Amino acid sequence: MTPLPAFAREILRLRMSQLLINERYKAREFRVPIHLALGHEAIAVALTSVMGAQDQLLLSHRNLHYNLARSRSLRAVVDEFLLRETGLAGGKYGSMNLINPAAGVLYASSILGNNLCLAAGVALAERVLDSGAVTFVVTGDGAIEEGAFYESLLLMAGQSLTAVVVVENNEWSLASRIDERRGPIDLASLARGCGAGFRSLSGNDVFAYAAAFEDCRGTAQRDARPVIVEVAVKTLGDWRQPTEEFPDGKYINYHAGPAPTVEVAPWPLMGEGDADPLRVLQASLPEATLKAEAGVLLADLQGELA
Amino acid sequence: MTAPTYVEFLNQRIKAAIAAEPRVVVYGQNVATGSCLSGLSRGFDKLPQCTVINTTNSEGTLVGMGFGLLLRGVSSIFFMKQQDFLLLGVEQLTNTANALRHRDLTASFTIIAIVVDSGWEGPQSCLNNLADFSSISHVPGYTIAGRAEAEAVIDRHIAAPGVRLLGVAQRLFRAPIVDYGTPEAFGGDKGVIRHATGDDATIVAFNLAFPQAAELHRALAERGMGASLFSIPATMPETVDALLDDVARTRRLVTIDDGKSVNGLAHAVASMARARVPGLQVVEARRPWSPESAAPNADQFAIDASRVATALTSLPNA
Repeated sequence: MTPLPAFAREILRLRMSQLLINERYKAREFRVPIHLALGHEAIAVALTSVMGAQDQLLLSHRNLHYNLARSRSLRAVVDEFLLRETGLAGGKYGSMNLINPAAGVLYASSILGNNLCLAAGVALAERVLDSGAVTFVVTGDGAIEEGAFYESLLLMAGQSLTAVVVVENNEWSLASRIDERRGPIDLASLARGCGAGFRSLSGNDVFAYAAAFEDCRGTAQRDARPVIVEVAVKTLGDWRQPTEEFPDGKYINYHAGPAPTVEVAPWPLMGEGDADPLRVLQASLPEATLKAEAGVLLADLQGELA
Repeated sequence: MTAPTYVEFLNQRIKAAIAAEPRVVVYGQNVATGSCLSGLSRGFDKLPQCTVINTTNSEGTLVGMGFGLLLRGVSSIFFMKQQDFLLLGVEQLTNTANALRHRDLTASFTIIAIVVDSGWEGPQSCLNNLADFSSISHVPGYTIAGRAEAEAVIDRHIAAPGVRLLGVAQRLFRAPIVDYGTPEAFGGDKGVIRHATGDDATIVAFNLAFPQAAELHRALAERGMGASLFSIPATMPETVDALLDDVARTRRLVTIDDGKSVNGLAHAVASMARARVPGLQVVEARRPWSPESAAPNADQFAIDASRVATALTSLPNA
């Protein structure tokens, strides 16, 4: 059997790891609020694959996929969520602020837009230190409504800072969709107006994403300016909950908390079409190999947590 | 030789304090253009270790930028033209400072805020108490009203690892720096300064009221009353034990606080002193507040030494 590409294996690992965390979350083992990132795996795998040794990554409250990708340890992440000293950050950070400086995850914040401001400072530090490193910062479609997004972009562009600003656009902020809370934001125009670069990604093709991130990283370095990468993503695990008002089920886009309808499965497809990175892998790689690898990974990860 | 003005002294002292630093980012609005904040930030662009940036008007992000520099081991000083601008940075000052509590920080991040305390700015002059920001964020702060405070605070803190706020008084900028001689002692992290020791009362200056406290100390001496004189530049002093020991001896406490906040440190110190010294006599001099305070006005905070002397001598156990 032909071995799976490393990217594909990583996506499977991140999916299985999250499913196992979700099981424990459903069992109320965690006290800290956790934001699952089911469906976000391709972005995290692609982005972290292009990070240079000195590059820094600043994350938001929904950071699980990146921390799993960078730490390569489900046990350390789970221990952190249990606030144990053996956790990824010594049990001091929980979920929303989870960091791993040794692996380049310098900072994470639970506050919308907060990490963008620090990213401007980190990118400025790289310039002062003449390190050549690129600063990656991850935000979302909710946080770009904050003034901090615009302010940070102006600072980064005005100071010729080398940064890649990743906007994970899942169209939701807490329980409101974009069309329920504002009009569209044309990030391409905004970026152009501020002197920043722009790239739009969709489709969850991890190979295409990695190539795009590599290109954006190079553009940021070559042009000494920030590049915005807007990635369309669907956070999987939503469900319908029957209520008196909605007997057929009210649509629930869970912001934080466990996904109650999601179960651990040997082949855990979740979303339709290219909303699920696993389906995208399935379309281009041998299904039998994927499923075999998924089974091995699940057993390994269960063993890691045992 | 002409005594330096307050702003000249601070400018020179800050430059001296960072002379040995390998690299410092100095930033803020107009820091290297125009009057360079009336001279406060003048000349940093001539220092080889400094990267000087005239920034956008983006205070929240600028506070966060300092934290970002700090995380990567680069020291910085953010000169903030008006302390009320810091309101726009409170999210960063509070949330990020708390998010970094467990980090091993090797660089320094100092926000130097000019307290708009002349009164003529009207509503903007209402916010003049640096300690309010420390109260929200638990970031230590230090006010500088005189030479001893400048030397103690700037020399000890500005290049030290970590984060702090410095508050400087706009109304003092062009006046000669208040120099009350060499202090007798410092407490804790130099957040409490003993300027003089006397037997008849203990005078304590809070926020930026040291000039008024020194003037009162001098005026009481002319009336034959010897008082101890303290200033507390720290918004969160490590300890005030030396001050409380002195109060226990003099049994008369005079607090002078020019801050307009209801959260005055003077109240807390007076409460601690009362708890420690039964029968303690306290004279509290505070800046009066009324709705008219929010309109442009001279905002003078003068202490009537005669009234304080009368109050002290008429106290029950005087």
